[in-house]
Amino acid sequence: MDLTVMSNPSSEKTRLNDGPGQPAGALPNPICEAWRDQLGEILLTSAQIDGRVSVLAEAISRDYAGQSLVLVGVLRGIFFFMADLLRAITIPASVDFVAISRYGPSERTHGAVRFTKDLDLTIEGRHVLFIEDIVDTGLTLAYILRNLRARNPASLSICTLLDRPKRRLVNFELAYIGFEIPDCWVVGYGLDYREDLRQLPFIAAFTPPGRRPPTSNGPLAPQVLVPTIHPRSIRITEQPGS
Amino acid sequence: MALPDPNDRPKFAHPSEAEFAQLLDYYGIGWQYEPTNFVIVEDAEGKPLELFSPDFYLTDFNLYIELTTARQKLIAYKRRKVRLLHEKHPEVNIKLLTRDDFVKLLDKYGLDSDEQSLVGKDALE
Repeated sequence: MDLTVMSNPSSEKTRLNDGPGQPAGALPNPICEAWRDQLGEILLTSAQIDGRVSVLAEAISRDYAGQSLVLVGVLRGIFFFMADLLRAITIPASVDFVAISRYGPSERTHGAVRFTKDLDLTIEGRHVLFIEDIVDTGLTLAYILRNLRARNPASLSICTLLDRPKRRLVNFELAYIGFEIPDCWVVGYGLDYREDLRQLPFIAAFTPPGRRPPTSNGPLAPQVLVPTIHPRSIRITEQPGS
Repeated sequence: MALPDPNDRPKFAHPSEAEFAQLLDYYGIGWQYEPTNFVIVEDAEGKPLELFSPDFYLTDFNLYIELTTARQKLIAYKRRKVRLLHEKHPEVNIKLLTRDDFVKLLDKYGLDSDEQSLVGKDALE
């Protein structure tokens, strides 16, 4: 059995071609071809994501060693990142998920956000690391953190794969940040457009139908597409006591 | 979480502000509408010459938000007000939410079909 392939079932053909900055819509992949006009350049390849997940997992394993750690994620965009991160963490850890309603055409009249799936585990007295796929406005995060804090965890911190600070409305301290990304819609690695494109093994820029690609500062320049490590995330690579 | 009373609403100057208030209500973010008049220009005697009332104050985050749906090239006057506020009151946190930012919010929440009524020609200016 080829365990390498089993551990990451993304298409070998796609993996071989998902170079950074490459137009995702040009990849010989039926999904990419179907969304050719909307898919932009690849911002993060599967290899880059894998590498960064390992770094984050190493830091989390070190920082939470000897503690009762629970990873909590909000469905559904988190499931690839959570699975990869959890498998790379080398200390005992539990995992649980919540799902929440989302503001939108059918939800506006319901009044307030609510959990559509609550935690199954008790987090009181445990160290909770809330895992996000992407932090942008912070509105969803504000609600979830308020709810989790009320359950009296021993600590509550945030780890996000992607940070899009340009769209932030309310700020939070992010303990672990994978990549800071430019102000564009992104899909792949669990992130969707109207529930499609989650299964892409890389993260690519995306232009919703009917919208024009970002042109105010010209086309997305290749240098912006190179993933950057947020300065705050530097601290996660420091050795204890340094 | 107590639901906001839909009848206890300020008279918003623009439909985009009403939508934004509804979004904040949905996620339980406390807000006030134009609660503060900041003096941003005054004469030599300290007499106020120009005031600025940011649209929203997010009470839990000590953050003012100014929402504008003017076209990008026409928001220079808003940026000037924000810049003067920063200079005069550096302790005040404020974020300018532009038309592009607001349209991205609409896209994010699947409200793109409401764009015309919220930021288009149909919207009251």
